[in-house]
Amino acid sequence: MAPLDSANTSSNLFSIGAERLALLGKHHKQLMQGYLDGFIDESAFSEGALKKLIAARILWRPDEQQPLALRPLVSELIASMVADENRRQINADVAEKLEQIRNRVQAYRDAQYKGDYSVAELQLQRLTEHVHDLSGQFEEAIDSLWHRLNSDFGFVSSLDDKIRENERAQKQLRRLLDGLDLLDFTELIELSEGNNHLRKLLVSQLQSQLSSHHSSLLEVQKRLVELLAKFRQQQSRSLLIANMAAFLRQHPKYQPADYPNRSEVPTLFNQAASIKPHAAIALDNASERQTLAELVRALPRHTPVTLLDTQSANFSALLQDEEIAARQQALKTDVENFYLRVIDQGGKLSALSYLEQQALTWDSEIWLYQIIAEYQALPVDEKAMFAMLREEAPASDFNSLLLIRDISISLQAA
Amino acid sequence: MLQHGPLLERLLAGDFICKITDEDAYRHLSLEQTQQDINHYLRPLNRRLVSNDDHSVYFLGYHELNKDAREQLSSQFALTVQSLLPLLEWLQLVQETMGRDSALTAGDTIKLQEFVLRTEDNQSLRQRLSQLASDRFFNSQSEQLDSQVKQIFRRLKEHGYLLQPHAERQYYIVTGKIDYLIDVIRFIRDEEHLPVEDTPTQEALL
Repeated sequence: MAPLDSANTSSNLFSIGAERLALLGKHHKQLMQGYLDGFIDESAFSEGALKKLIAARILWRPDEQQPLALRPLVSELIASMVADENRRQINADVAEKLEQIRNRVQAYRDAQYKGDYSVAELQLQRLTEHVHDLSGQFEEAIDSLWHRLNSDFGFVSSLDDKIRENERAQKQLRRLLDGLDLLDFTELIELSEGNNHLRKLLVSQLQSQLSSHHSSLLEVQKRLVELLAKFRQQQSRSLLIANMAAFLRQHPKYQPADYPNRSEVPTLFNQAASIKPHAAIALDNASERQTLAELVRALPRHTPVTLLDTQSANFSALLQDEEIAARQQALKTDVENFYLRVIDQGGKLSALSYLEQQALTWDSEIWLYQIIAEYQALPVDEKAMFAMLREEAPASDFNSLLLIRDISISLQAA
Repeated sequence: MLQHGPLLERLLAGDFICKITDEDAYRHLSLEQTQQDINHYLRPLNRRLVSNDDHSVYFLGYHELNKDAREQLSSQFALTVQSLLPLLEWLQLVQETMGRDSALTAGDTIKLQEFVLRTEDNQSLRQRLSQLASDRFFNSQSEQLDSQVKQIFRRLKEHGYLLQPHAERQYYIVTGKIDYLIDVIRFIRDEEHLPVEDTPTQEALL
C-alpha cells in the first residue's frame, strides 16, 4: 500500500510542481519586473493568469490595500539566483535541520527494524537530502558573504551603509559559526553506529564538508574585520578632512605652535632641505680619459663662418654720442607714429602739415628725409601698401632741378 | 651602497618615497638594515631617514638640529601650514566632484578630463574650483576652467602629492604624501586640542 500511495502522491506532486514551475517561466519578464519594483503590475496579466499565480503561491497580496507582490520565498529564490546581495538572505538555522536529521535517522532505523526496506530506502533518500541541505545552506551563505566582500559592499553606495552592511554580515557570520558549533560529531557518530550508509553520510562526508565551511567562514570573518577597519579609517579620514577644513575656514588667522623650534622637533616636521648632487668627469683619473675623449668627440663641431670683411657705411657707428643716438631714435619713433596715423586715417596725409599739427620740433628738411628713408626701408610688400606723392617745384625759372616742397603719404588699397 | 644610489639621490632631492612613487625603493627602505646603511651614509650630510607614523612614506630630515637646520624647518613649516587649507579644500572638491564616498587615499587615480567634465556643468563646483585655483598655493591667473585645473594638478605634482605616470596622458595617481598630510593634520589637531572630530559617533552626539 505504502509504495503505491507514495507513488500516487509523488506523481500528483510532480504534475502540480511542473505546472507551477512552468508558470514561473511563462511570466518570467513580468515576474522579474515585479521583483525589481517590489510589486506586480496587475494590468500586465490576464485575470486567469493572476488567479493561477496566486494559487501556485507565487504571488500574494500582503494586505487588502497593497498591490500584489512576489511571495518572499520566490523573491529569495531570485535573489539567490542572481546574487542580489541587497535581498539575498542567509539562513543560519542549524538546530531545525539537526532535529530533522535526528528524526529521519530514527524513522530509517525503525523501518529497517520492521524490515520495510522500501520505506527505509525512502527515508535514507530524505535523510541524504537533509544532509545536503545543511551543507548547501552553509555553502550558499559563504558564497553570499564572499560575494559581498569581493565587491567591497559595492551594492550600497555610501560609506555609512557599507559599514552597516559589513556589521550585518559579521552578525550573520557569528550566527553561522554558532550553528556549526551545534553540530556535535560524537552525537552523529552515535547516530550512525553500526550502519555503513549512515556513517558515510553523517560522519565522513558531512564532517569534511563542514570543516571546510568552518575554515572558509573564519577566513571571511578575518577579511570582514579588515575591511571594516578600512572603512572606518576612510570614514575618519573624510571627517577629519571636512572638519579641519571647516575649522581653518572659520579661523583664517590660525597659527599652530612653533614646532620647528621646540627642543624636541616632531619627526613629521623634520623635513630637510633638498641637496642636488652634481658630478663631473674626474680629469685626474686616467681610466676615464677614454670616456672623456669620446664625450669631447661627440660634441657638435663648431664650424666658423668666415664673414667677408665688407666695407659698408655704418650709420649707427657714427652715432657714438648717446644723446645723438637718443635724438635719432626719437625722430624714428615720430616718423613711425606718422605712418601709423596714415594707416588709422586711411586718406592722404601731408608730412609737413602733420609736423605742424603735432607741434614737433624737427627741422622740416630732416623730417622729410626721415620719412623718405623709412619708406625706402620698408619691406617690398609693405611698401606697396603706401603711395608716396612728392610735391615738387623747379628750383628757379632757369634751373629745372626739382625741389621737394612736401610729401604726402596715403594708404593704398592692397 | 651603490645599489641605492638612485634612491639616495631622490631622497636627497627632497622626494617622498612611498609604495606608489617607487615600490622597489619603498620595499628596500622598509628593511631595517637598509635604513641603518642609509643613515650611516647620510650622517656627514647631517641627514637621516624619517617616516610618518605608520611608515607608509619616507623622507629625509636633519640628524642634528643646528641653527641653519631650524631656520630651514621653520620656513618649511610655514609653507606646510599655508598649504593646509588649499590642500584640504582640493581633497574635498575631488571627493564631491567625482561622487566618491570616501576621501582620496594613496593609489587612487584621477582622470583630469573626467574631473573637468564633471565640474564644467556645475556652477557651484566651478566657482569653488576657480576660487581654489587663485589661492596662492596654486596661483593660477587664468579664467579658463581647463587651465585652472591643469595648474592645480601641476602644482600638486610638483609638491609630490600626485604622480603622472605618462607625461602626455592626463591622469594622475595619488601618492603616499597624502598620508603624510593627514598625519600632519592629525598631529596638529591632537597637539593643539582643536575641536576637530574624526569619529562619527561623536559627531552625531554634537
